[in-house]
Amino acid sequence: MKNGFFGKIFGTGKESTRDIAKKRLQFALIYDKLEVSDEILESLQKDIVDVISKYFEIDKSSLKLDIERQDDLSALVLNTPILSAKRKFG
Amino acid sequence: MAGSEIKISFISKQKRGADLKGKVIVITSGKGGVGKTTTTASLGAAIASLGKTVAVVDMDIGLRNLDVVMGLENRIVYNVVDLAHGRCQVKQAAIRDRRIEGLFLIPASQSDNKNALNTDDMARLTKKLRDEFDYILIDCPAGIEQGFENSVTGADEAIVVCTPEVSAVRDADRIIGLLYARSITPKLIVNRIVPYMVVNGDMLSHKDVEDVLSVELIGLVEMDERVIAATNTGSYIIDDKTSKAGQAYTRIARRILGDPSVPIKEPVYDQKGIWGKITSKFGIRK
Ligand SMILES: Nc1ncnc2c1ncn2[C@@H]1O[C@H](COP(=O)(O)OP(=O)(O)O)[C@@H](O)[C@H]1O
Ligand SMILES: [Mg+2]
Repeated sequence: MKNGFFGKIFGTGKESTRDIAKKRLQFALIYDKLEVSDEILESLQKDIVDVISKYFEIDKSSLKLDIERQDDLSALVLNTPILSAKRKFG
Repeated sequence: MAGSEIKISFISKQKRGADLKGKVIVITSGKGGVGKTTTTASLGAAIASLGKTVAVVDMDIGLRNLDVVMGLENRIVYNVVDLAHGRCQVKQAAIRDRRIEGLFLIPASQSDNKNALNTDDMARLTKKLRDEFDYILIDCPAGIEQGFENSVTGADEAIVVCTPEVSAVRDADRIIGLLYARSITPKLIVNRIVPYMVVNGDMLSHKDVEDVLSVELIGLVEMDERVIAATNTGSYIIDDKTSKAGQAYTRIARRILGDPSVPIKEPVYDQKGIWGKITSKFGIRK
């Protein structure tokens, strides 16, 4: 679990088992509904980062993936600090 | 007697009019062992103690349990399958609890399996029961198969019971989805909360569970050793007036009856509680 997608979400292992349980649940429910796996989400994240990187300098180390839930909708949210816009594309 | 007529009028025993029929509430969870049966018995007892007539129905066909939890196991003659198939009357199948006025148990059959009933049977059964009782509480079996289908058929409302554990919450989410698909908006009970573990970061809090499931809470029940003691003797936890779980169930019952002045009480870390005592003995209290 530490190596996969989760490893990145959970960071350094300072979280309590309670926090880990909550995060695991939130992701498990997303996986259940979308029927996607860890791997797919990871490569999705990579692609998104690549696209954004074409236009902006981003801090890849502080990428944060989260789940926001409103009513019966769950949204996967990728947050990334933008350092600066790139002048030229590519 | 030409020109005259004899008028016979039937006076119903029922005080209730057609618009005041009973309400059917299914208690469900997905996962087994989270407290559905305990909740059904406790809420049944609590609602009846508040003056309503209540039938609790054990739908765990083949694995009946509600009867022993309520201490009524030696009075079973007919069961829910008999009743649904018209082999007996409601009066015959509903075992009257002699301790709490207005409380009745309709036991499961022990020899049939879950396919002994279908949703048509259940629609007819719940219709019948609505005429006789103010509240009908259905104790749903674990799983999402026929037993679940049957239990939710005819239900007006649903209570989902969940413990603060990953597997139970995930199953609850699945059940909630299935209930929504049947146009039922469920309410949530988080059961077996251990406050000191929550404080220590070793157990999901009810807020976490509520957050993940995003459904309305109707009550919070602590892990309480006295629940097990009550089950041992077939008595009701709500009659153990100082027990936290008993108090919690009584509050939930009042909320079900529509008393808005009963707040949901959040379990607090009680140093004197048994779980606190155990931890202090082992020196892991923070
Ligand atoms: N709040 C509680 N505190 C302590 N034990 C509980 C509590 N709720 C349920 N239990 C115990 O957990 C076990 C499973 O409960 P039960 O009601 O039979 O679950 P289910 O019907 O969902 O399978 C039983 O032994 C019961 O006594
Ligand atoms: Mg049960």
